[in-house]
Amino acid sequence: MSEYKLNRLETTKLIGNIVDKHWASLRHAKENGEKVAWCSGPVFAFPYAMDMKCHFMAGYSAYAGGRGAAQQLLEIAEEDGELIDACSYHKLHMGMAAAMRKNIPVRKDVILPLPDLLISGRLCPEMSHYAEGLYRKMGVRVTGVDVPPPHQKSEIKYFEKYVERQIRESLIPALEEVCGKPFNYDRLTEILIVLKETAMLRNECWEYLKLKPSPWTLWDYGVSIAPVFYLMGSPEAVPYYKKLKAELADRAAKKIAALEPEKSRVYWDGWLPWAFLGKFSRIMCKLGMVPLVGRYPWEFFPHPETIDTEGDPVASFVKQVYSNGGQAKDNMPSLNLPVIQNWVEDYKIDGLIMFSSKSCRMWNLGHNDFIAAIERQNGIPGVVIEGDMVDTRMNSFAQIETRLEALAEMIEARKE
Amino acid sequence: MKQRALNQCMKVSGDPYGYLKEWKGNNNKKIISCFAMNIPEEIIHAAGLLPVIAWRSNESVSIGHSHVASFNCGLTRSFIDDVLKEKLNFLDGVVINRMCLQAQGIPFILEQNTKWANIIYMSLPALYGSDCIRDFFKSELDRLIIAMEKCSGNKITTGKIVNSIEIYNHNRKLLSDIYEIRRKNIGIISAREMLSIVHSSMIMPKEENNKLLLEVIEELNLKVAEGNHKSGIPVVIYGSLCQTPHPELLDLIENTGMVVVDDDIFIGSRYFVNSLDISDDPIESMANRYLSHIPPCPTKGDYKSNWSTYISDIMNKNKAKAVITLMIRYCPPHMCAYPDDQINFEKKGIPEIMLEVEHEIISLEQVRTRLQSFVETIGGI
Ligand code: SF4
Ligand code: SF4
Repeated sequence: MSEYKLNRLETTKLIGNIVDKHWASLRHAKENGEKVAWCSGPVFAFPYAMDMKCHFMAGYSAYAGGRGAAQQLLEIAEEDGELIDACSYHKLHMGMAAAMRKNIPVRKDVILPLPDLLISGRLCPEMSHYAEGLYRKMGVRVTGVDVPPPHQKSEIKYFEKYVERQIRESLIPALEEVCGKPFNYDRLTEILIVLKETAMLRNECWEYLKLKPSPWTLWDYGVSIAPVFYLMGSPEAVPYYKKLKAELADRAAKKIAALEPEKSRVYWDGWLPWAFLGKFSRIMCKLGMVPLVGRYPWEFFPHPETIDTEGDPVASFVKQVYSNGGQAKDNMPSLNLPVIQNWVEDYKIDGLIMFSSKSCRMWNLGHNDFIAAIERQNGIPGVVIEGDMVDTRMNSFAQIETRLEALAEMIEARKE
Repeated sequence: MKQRALNQCMKVSGDPYGYLKEWKGNNNKKIISCFAMNIPEEIIHAAGLLPVIAWRSNESVSIGHSHVASFNCGLTRSFIDDVLKEKLNFLDGVVINRMCLQAQGIPFILEQNTKWANIIYMSLPALYGSDCIRDFFKSELDRLIIAMEKCSGNKITTGKIVNSIEIYNHNRKLLSDIYEIRRKNIGIISAREMLSIVHSSMIMPKEENNKLLLEVIEELNLKVAEGNHKSGIPVVIYGSLCQTPHPELLDLIENTGMVVVDDDIFIGSRYFVNSLDISDDPIESMANRYLSHIPPCPTKGDYKSNWSTYISDIMNKNKAKAVITLMIRYCPPHMCAYPDDQINFEKKGIPEIMLEVEHEIISLEQVRTRLQSFVETIGGI
């Protein structure tokens, strides 16, 4: 028996139903006469404002991974000609499309209706490839929004203007055409109001991650991301975070830790391994290691206090991606390093885990440079572990376990 | 046969480090690496700097792997490896274009590991076809102009850019002429030689390269008169974004009964197709070229273009019988585009084979066997 005890939260058990409801409403949209969009990048609030049902590329991938459907979709994609080393999220979509085209039986809950509009939000250059592939295969209308991540501070405002202009001049007119009605700016504001309230509550929950020992973990937050992202504006979002906050406050008062005893506190870089959260959790629990903070899960509206719900909602949204929220910069390490260095102090981090996804090159270049720079400034060790967020074949858990054991030993040695 | 100029191209391409170190010693000018495709080199040139396209070394990656994981393309790994091994110390900076996630990750590694004052990152836009995209492209060029003026200490005027465009257009024309000679005289020049000719243009100052290419053309014309060219099944090679394919791979293609008659690879025709318009608004000309969809480029978010149609047009122009895809291992833009191209080739009845291009030495024997059976299947066409 493990010497560590994991105390699961009650609130996170509710998220499955909320998420399922979202994807079910998307699956049945056409039957209900609703328009459907598929979207990559951070701009899905815009189809939501038009009452479209909208998929979000990474959200769908996490969902399919979490439901255990990823491997089948990846294999269907490869049967259909996709290459094994291509981005897994891209391939999940191509697999879904192939299953639809060829009538291959797969779990019904991961098949979505073909969209009326594909929105190619190009935050990562590869976020456009899936739209290109689907356009070529299915001929679905595409509208693109180029969302370049800033490399220097001086680029932030400049890129912000560029993205805002594309939304006004390309995305909104495309949505208006597809939906046959004027863009609903008021609805966008309403979504922002709910998002602001949800993300403010979420930030209060983040504060509990700073407690030592922490009453919850990064994995718990990982499964709670949807209400501050693709479930933004939904009626379930605020109640979920209110409940979560209350549970955390209660735990904090009673000094209940997520993992007892909490031996070490770690930072997690890169994607969350959606299809393998349980496996990672078990390995880390055995080592008394608690993941607490990471740049990907912190992407989602980290400064909700700056969401302007009174002024122009389009400008307000884009500011969240750039000058106020800074989501886009998370993908550019140069602007991110100082942020992580501060987190190491704020969250009392003992070590760094850099999860290097083999099929997604978004985070993995320079991982060792991150470790070196943080080690220089903050004096903590780190390891790189290689794997994939959804593709089983790319994860060697024996190797991952060995690396994490090595990290645990390094952390212990430093403490001594 | 006289082939001094061709040998010079091969020498430059074979040892760009030696050539550039010597050139810098003699000319005392700054050298800027361009990583990799679609960098508006004319602007760098107009600043009085030497733009050179980043290349893959022929050494295995060692220390580079502690900064760039093995599942990234060879060019990225090799470039970083070269930087860390101090093989590129003659460079004064780099201009990187956001073509893919690999390119996006490079500036941070360079900032952490070099003292280069000029690490310029450009976010050239996706081809989403709006005025906004065009304006943004132009503003990215404005930023490059400012950066290059700072790097060189020289003012970049419209006149200087037009002059650079003329020199670059001349280079494009000469390279096209060489391709035309090959088209009319199949087998007159090997794929390996053609690669080194285009590569020499990516390394040398265009003024010097233009003189060299004129000589190459003279040599080829003499060779035409001599006759006796290599024959084989005419094929077109395409793909190989950014990264140089192994010359041995090209030899293998041509030693198994095929002859490369044209290509659409970066160190090939993709580099020079499309001259720029000469006008008093050179930035607009550059925008026209970048936004033109020709050649189709999977790094540009260009969902409308059909690369396979472009390739089959090249095949028709050359009466080629088959196409060979050169897929750079771990190049996501091409990996994602390829499945549709493959299907389209099949639909059009075009025989196609895909060869993966690694940075590390590949097993040529396996490739030979695959190529031999490919040749057998297309032999009767
Ligand atoms: S490469 Fe990574 S960031 Fe880009 S689309 Fe794929 S999973 Fe997303
Ligand atoms: S070869 Fe492909 S992956 Fe590598 S730098 Fe070029 S576009 Fe990017």
